[in-house]
Amino acid sequence: MNKYLHSLMGLTAGLSLTSSVLADDTVKVGVLHSLSGTMAISETSLRDVLLYAFDEINTAGGIKVGDKSYKIEPVVVDGASNWPLFAEKAKQLLEEDKVAVTFGCWTSVSRKSVLPVYEKDNGLLFYPVQYEGEELSKNIFYTAEAVNQQATPAVDYLLAQGKKKFYLIGTDYVYPQTTDLILYKYLLLHGITIENIGGGLRKDADGKVISAGKYVPFGHTDFQQIVAEIKQFAASGDACVINTINGDSNVPFFKEIVAAGLTPSDCPVVSFSLAEDELRSMPTKDMVGELGCWTYFMSLTTPENTAFMKSWFDWLGTQTHPGVIKEKRAVDSPMVLSYDGVYLWKQAVEKAGSFDVDKVRAALETGTDSFAGPGGKITMQANHHATKNVYIGETKANGQFKIVQTFDQVYGEPFMLKGLDAKLGAK
Amino acid sequence: MHKPTNYELWFVAVAALFLLFILPGLNAFTAPGSVLHVSDFTINLYGKYLCYGIVAISVDLLWGYTGLLSLGQCLFFALGGYMMGMYLMRMIGDLGQYHQPIPDFLVFLGWSKLPAFWQPFSSFKFATMMAILLPAVVALGFGFLAFRSRIKGVYFSILTQALTYAGCLLFFRNDMLMGGNNGFTDFKFIAGHDLRLPATQRELYICSVLLLLATYGLCKWLTNSKFGKVQCAIRDSENRVLFSGYATAHFKLFVFVLAAIIAGLAGALYVPQVGIINPSEMATDKSLEAIVWVSVGGRGTLIGPVIGAFAVNAMKSWATRAYPDLWLMFLGLTFILVTLFMPKGIVGLPAQIGALRRRFQQPKTDASEVANSKRVEEQIKPNLK
Amino acid sequence: MLIVSCLTCLGAEPGLRPFYNRMKSLRKYLAILTWCAAAGLALAADSGGPDSPAIRKELVQVILGIDGDRQTLLNDLSETGSKLVGDTLLAWTRGSIYLYPSPDGTKQPVLLEDAQDATGKARAIRLSDGEFLKDAAGKELRFGDNDLIAADTDMRLRSAIRQTVDTLALASPDKDARFSAVTKLGNSQKSMYVPILQARLTKETDSTVKRAILEGIASLQIGDRDPQVQIAAVGHLAALHSIGNLETLQKLAASPKTDPQLIKAANAAVGSIQSHIWWVNFFGTIFRGISLGSILLVVALGLAITFGLMGVINMAHGEMIAIGAYTSYVVQNLFGTGFAFAINLPFSFMGKQLGFSLSLPGLNATGWFYQSYFLFVLPLSFLAAALAGLVLERAVIQFLYRRPLESLLATWGVSLVMQQLFRMVFGANNVQVNSPTWLLGHCTLNDVSFGYNRLFVIGFAIMIVLGTWLLLAKTPLGLLIRAVMQNRSMASCMGVRTTRVNMLTFAFGSGLAGLAGAFLSQIGNVGPSLGQSYIVDSFMTVVVGGVGSIIGTVYSALGIGTADQVLQQLLGSPVLGKIIVLTCIILFLQWKPGGLFAIRGRSLD
Repeated sequence: MNKYLHSLMGLTAGLSLTSSVLADDTVKVGVLHSLSGTMAISETSLRDVLLYAFDEINTAGGIKVGDKSYKIEPVVVDGASNWPLFAEKAKQLLEEDKVAVTFGCWTSVSRKSVLPVYEKDNGLLFYPVQYEGEELSKNIFYTAEAVNQQATPAVDYLLAQGKKKFYLIGTDYVYPQTTDLILYKYLLLHGITIENIGGGLRKDADGKVISAGKYVPFGHTDFQQIVAEIKQFAASGDACVINTINGDSNVPFFKEIVAAGLTPSDCPVVSFSLAEDELRSMPTKDMVGELGCWTYFMSLTTPENTAFMKSWFDWLGTQTHPGVIKEKRAVDSPMVLSYDGVYLWKQAVEKAGSFDVDKVRAALETGTDSFAGPGGKITMQANHHATKNVYIGETKANGQFKIVQTFDQVYGEPFMLKGLDAKLGAK
Repeated sequence: MHKPTNYELWFVAVAALFLLFILPGLNAFTAPGSVLHVSDFTINLYGKYLCYGIVAISVDLLWGYTGLLSLGQCLFFALGGYMMGMYLMRMIGDLGQYHQPIPDFLVFLGWSKLPAFWQPFSSFKFATMMAILLPAVVALGFGFLAFRSRIKGVYFSILTQALTYAGCLLFFRNDMLMGGNNGFTDFKFIAGHDLRLPATQRELYICSVLLLLATYGLCKWLTNSKFGKVQCAIRDSENRVLFSGYATAHFKLFVFVLAAIIAGLAGALYVPQVGIINPSEMATDKSLEAIVWVSVGGRGTLIGPVIGAFAVNAMKSWATRAYPDLWLMFLGLTFILVTLFMPKGIVGLPAQIGALRRRFQQPKTDASEVANSKRVEEQIKPNLK
Repeated sequence: MLIVSCLTCLGAEPGLRPFYNRMKSLRKYLAILTWCAAAGLALAADSGGPDSPAIRKELVQVILGIDGDRQTLLNDLSETGSKLVGDTLLAWTRGSIYLYPSPDGTKQPVLLEDAQDATGKARAIRLSDGEFLKDAAGKELRFGDNDLIAADTDMRLRSAIRQTVDTLALASPDKDARFSAVTKLGNSQKSMYVPILQARLTKETDSTVKRAILEGIASLQIGDRDPQVQIAAVGHLAALHSIGNLETLQKLAASPKTDPQLIKAANAAVGSIQSHIWWVNFFGTIFRGISLGSILLVVALGLAITFGLMGVINMAHGEMIAIGAYTSYVVQNLFGTGFAFAINLPFSFMGKQLGFSLSLPGLNATGWFYQSYFLFVLPLSFLAAALAGLVLERAVIQFLYRRPLESLLATWGVSLVMQQLFRMVFGANNVQVNSPTWLLGHCTLNDVSFGYNRLFVIGFAIMIVLGTWLLLAKTPLGLLIRAVMQNRSMASCMGVRTTRVNMLTFAFGSGLAGLAGAFLSQIGNVGPSLGQSYIVDSFMTVVVGGVGSIIGTVYSALGIGTADQVLQQLLGSPVLGKIIVLTCIILFLQWKPGGLFAIRGRSLD
C-alpha cells in the first residue's frame, strides 16, 4: 500500500491552499493579470503599476473607512493567458481569498471568462483596457476607453485633416471586428463612399454588411501581401490606415510598412493598440508621424502627470519585487487607467464607509466619483464607464507622442452600433 | 503476497470512494467554516482536474498503449466542449446582454435569426450526441487517411499538430459563427439546472467522477483483453504485427476514434464547469500539457495519467498563486527532471526507489521483493520506440 | 533563377521602359536627415546670397505666423527656388526648428547645430540672419533638445509645406527628390501645376523622372474642361500604366456626364491598367512567396539538422531562435548605450534577497560603425545559440537519443524555462531592435517593389544552405556527422567519437536557429514568445520536405511560402489561406508519407 503513498502526496499537494491570517487593518485586493504566456507582454506592466498604486496608498496612510484606516494587501495571481485559468483564479480570489475588489484582465475574452464568476459571487472588477463596448455588467467598472473615446475621435481628426480613403486592418477577434464595423458605419455617415473604405467587406445572405476590413490571425508575421495592397490603395492619395492589429503583430506590420516606403505624409497609420509601452519595441525612428489615440499620453505636461511620473520612476528604482523590470520603462494609457481605477475605488469605499460591494457600487454609480488622474479628470458614470479626456498624438522618434488634438471630457458610451444603425437608416 | 494489480484496484477503490462520496459529502453536509468543510471552489477545481484526468487516460490509451503520440487530443476535447457550449449558449435564452432569443455574439454580428446549424442544439440530447459524434467523425476521417498511408511515429505527431492548428485557426474566425476568439461564456442553465448554484456544480462534479470511473473501467477491460495485447504489440513492433496478419490500421483507427470520443466527452463535461470555451483550448500546447500529465503520472498504466493530471494541475493552481513570476520555471524543470530521471512517472517511483534501496542494501537482498518489482516493471512497459 | 526569369518576363512586356530604381522612403528619409544636418551648417554659412535677407525674413514670418498668412507666404516662397527655403521648411516639419524666447519678449526661430558638446547641448543658429545666438556678454548660447520649444506644425500645414518644398524640389539636382516632387504635384489635382511640369519636362534629362512628369501632367489634365485634352490624357495614362489614376479613370468612365468618346477611351485605359496590376501582383506574389519561403527555410534549416538528421524533437528550437534575436538586441545595445539587467528572486538568504545583476558599458558608436552592428550580430548569434545548444545537448538530450518522443517532453520543459528566463532578463515586453539603414527601404521595378530586407533574406538563405551543404558534404566533420546520423552504433564501432559528433551537430543546428533569430529580429518582434510563432511552421516544413533531407527542406519551404502568398492573394484572407495550406499539407502527406524526399533505407523498426 505504501507504494502509492507518494502518488497520494502529489494529489493532496493541491489541497493545501494558502489562507493567511489577516491582520486587523488590512484589506485584500486582487490583481488578476497574465504574467506568463502570450499576453504577459502587455499585462505585466499593469501588475507593476497596481503594486505601485497600492504602495502609494499604503504610504499615505491607507484607506480610511469610518475611523479606522486599512492598508492594502495585494493578492497577485497569474492568469497565464489561459482563459479557463482566469475563471479559476477569479473564483479563488473571490471565494478563497475574499478580496474586496479585483483589478485585472486585458483581453476581452479574459473579461468574458471571469464575468459570470463576478456576477455569481457579487464581486467587483475594474477593467482598464480599451475595448469594443456592447457590454454592461453590474459587477464590472470599465475605466477603459469605449469606442467613442478612441476610434471615432481619431476618425474625426483624420476627416478634418482631409483624408478621403480609409483602409481598415485588424486581428481577427471581437474588438477589431466591432470597432471596424462601427467605423464603417460612422464613415458612411460622414459621406465616405464604400469604395473608399479598403480592406474588403463581408455580407450576409441578405446583402447586409456584417464585417468590414482585412483580418489577420493572432501572431501573424507576414504582412507583405497586405502592405502591397495598401500601397495600391494609397496610390491615388489622401488615404490613411486604421489599424486594430493586436500586440506582437504590429512590429512586423510596421517594419513592412517602413520597408515598402509608405510614409506618414503619404498615408498615416492610426493605431488603437499601440501605446508608449508597445512603442518601446517598435521601430519608432521610422514611424515619426504615425498616429495614436488614447486618454493618456506620457508627454502630457500637466502637474498631475509630472508628479505621477516622478513618483512612479522613483518607486521603480527602489523595487525588489521579482519580475518587475526597471530598465527602459514607460507609462501608457492602460496603466494610468488601472491606476485611476484604484483611486476611484478607494474614494468610493471611503464615501460608502464600507468595503461592501453593493455599497461601493452605489457610491460609484452616483456619477460623482471623480479623480484628478495623470491623464486629466476622470469621472465614473452611472453606466459603469468613465468620462475622460481623449488625446490624439503623433509618434515621435523617441517613442513618445506629440499631442495634436485634445477632446475634453468625453462621455463613455458602450453601446454604439444601435445608434449608428438608426442614424444610417434615417439617412 | 498479493498480486501487484491488487494494489491498483485498492487504490482506485479508495480514490473512488473519496472522490465520489467523501468530497461531495463534505461539501454538501458540513457548514462553511467547519474544519471538515470542502468549499465549492475546491469541488469545482477538482471537477476540472477530473476532466483533465479523463483526457489524460485517452492520451495514454493512444501513446502508452498503442504508441501513437497524438498532439490532437485537445482538438477533440475542444470539439466536445464546443458542442456542449452551443447547447449552453441556447439555454441562456434572452438573458443575455441584448435580451434577444439568439446568442449575444450573433446579434453582435448582425444576425436576427438563428443560423440553421445552430437550430438543433436547443436539445441537450442532440448536443451530447454531437459531443460524441463530431470528434468521432473528425477522428475517423483523419485517422482513416493517416493510417491508410501508414503515417506513424513523429510524422503522425506533426500531422496531428497541423490538424489541431488548422482547427484552432478555423475557430478563431468570427465568420465561423462559433464566437471567434471570445468563444462561449456566461452560461446560465444546463438541463433545467442553474449552473450558478453549488448543487449543480456538485452534480457536474459527480458526473465527472462517474465518467472517469467508467472510462477507467472500459480502458482497463480493453487493455486486458486480446485487443489490448494487439495494441501493445503494435506499439512495440508494428511491422511484426502486420506481418503476422493483423490489419494494424484498423486497430489503430479504432483506438484513435475511441480516444477522440473519450476526449470529446471530457470536453463536454469540462465546459459547464469552467464556464468558457474558446479556440485557445485547441492550441497545440494544450495537447502537450496532456502528454506531460501522462508522462509525469506514468505512461502505460491507467492510473498514472490521472495521478499525473491531478499532480501537475494542483501544482499549477498552487504555483500561479504562490509564485506568479516563477511557476513556469518550476513546471518546465519538473518536465525535464521527470523525463530524465523518472521515465516511469510517479507510478513507477516506488519501484525505482526500491531498486535504489536494494543497490545500497546489496548484501541482504529480499528475493520476493525483487520478483515483485520485476513484475511491476513488466506491467509498466517502458521501452517505447 | 526565378528572379532572373521574372526580370526577363518584365523585359519582354510591350511598352517597355528602362528599369528605374527609386530609392524612396526610409533610405531617402535618412538621406534627408543628413542633408538637413548639413543644412544647419549651410544656414550659418550661406548668408551672402543677394536675396537672402528678404527670404530669411519671410521664412521667419511663416514660422511665427498664423494659418491664413502662412499659405500666401508659402506660395511666395515656393517661387524663390532657394535651397535655403527647402532646407528650412523640411527642418520645420521634422520639428527641428525651435523658438527661442529672446530677452525682448519676442520669439526667434532657431536651428540647433548638429555637433553637440559633452552635455548634449548645441549652439543655436538664428534663422533671421544665420548667426549663432549669443547672450548679452557675447557668449554663444547652448541648448539641449528639451530646453527649447519646437515650432509647431500640424498635418494640414505640413502638407502645404510639402507642396512648397515639392515645387522647389523640381529643380533639385537629386533625381529622387525631383521624382517624388513630380509625383506629389501630379496627385495634387490642381491644374495650375501643368505649365510648371511642362516647363520642367523640356529641361528634364532623367528618363524615370520624365515618365513621372508625363504621368503627372496627364493626371492633371484629366480634370481639364476640353474633352479632347482629356482623351489624350487618358491615352497617356493607359500607355503609362498609371495605377494611381485607376480610380479616377473608373469614376470618369462611370460618370453620366462624360463624353461618350471619353468613356470609351477611359474604359480602354482601365482595362490596360488592370491587366498591368494583374501582372504586378503576379510577380509581386512570386517574389513575396520566395521571400516568405526563404524565411521558413532559414527558420527550419536548424531543425532540419537537429530533428531531421538527429531525430531529436526539439521543442526548444523556437527558443534557440529567440536567443539569436536577443543576441542582436544585446549587441545593438552594446554598440549604443550599453546593456544592463537585474533579476530579483522571491527568496532570501540570511535576510538578503537573492538575485543577480549585470551591467555592460556601451561603445556609444555612431554613423557607419553603429550601422555595421548587424555584421557582428550574425556570427555572435550563431555562437550564442550554438553554445546554448551545446549545453542543452550535454545536460538533457544526450540521455534521450534512444527515446526520441520523450525528447519532445523534456525540450518542451526547456522551452518553458527559457521563455520565463527571457521574461526575467529582458522583461515580458518585446524589445526594440532597429534595423541598420542598409536593410531598410526598397527598390521598384516596373511597379513591383522589392524590399532590401526581403532581398537580403533570400541571399541569406542561399548562403546558409550553401554553407550547410558544404559542411555536410565536403568536410571531414560532415562525413562523420552523416555517418553517425545514419547508423550511430556502426559509426561508433568504426572509431567515430559519436558523443562528440552528436554534440557538435546539435550545436550546429542550434547555431543555425540563432542565425534565423538574428534575421527575424529585422522583420518581426523580439520577445519571449518569439519562438512559439515559428515552431509549428518549422516542423511542418521539415516534415513536408522529408525528414533527413536538407534539399527537401529547401523545396518544401519555397513551396509552402509561395502557396501561402498565392492563396492569400486569391482569397484575400490570410487566415483562410493558412488553413488551406495546412489542409494541403495533411493531404500531401497522405500521398507521400515520407515527405518530398523520403530517405529510403532497408531498416525496419
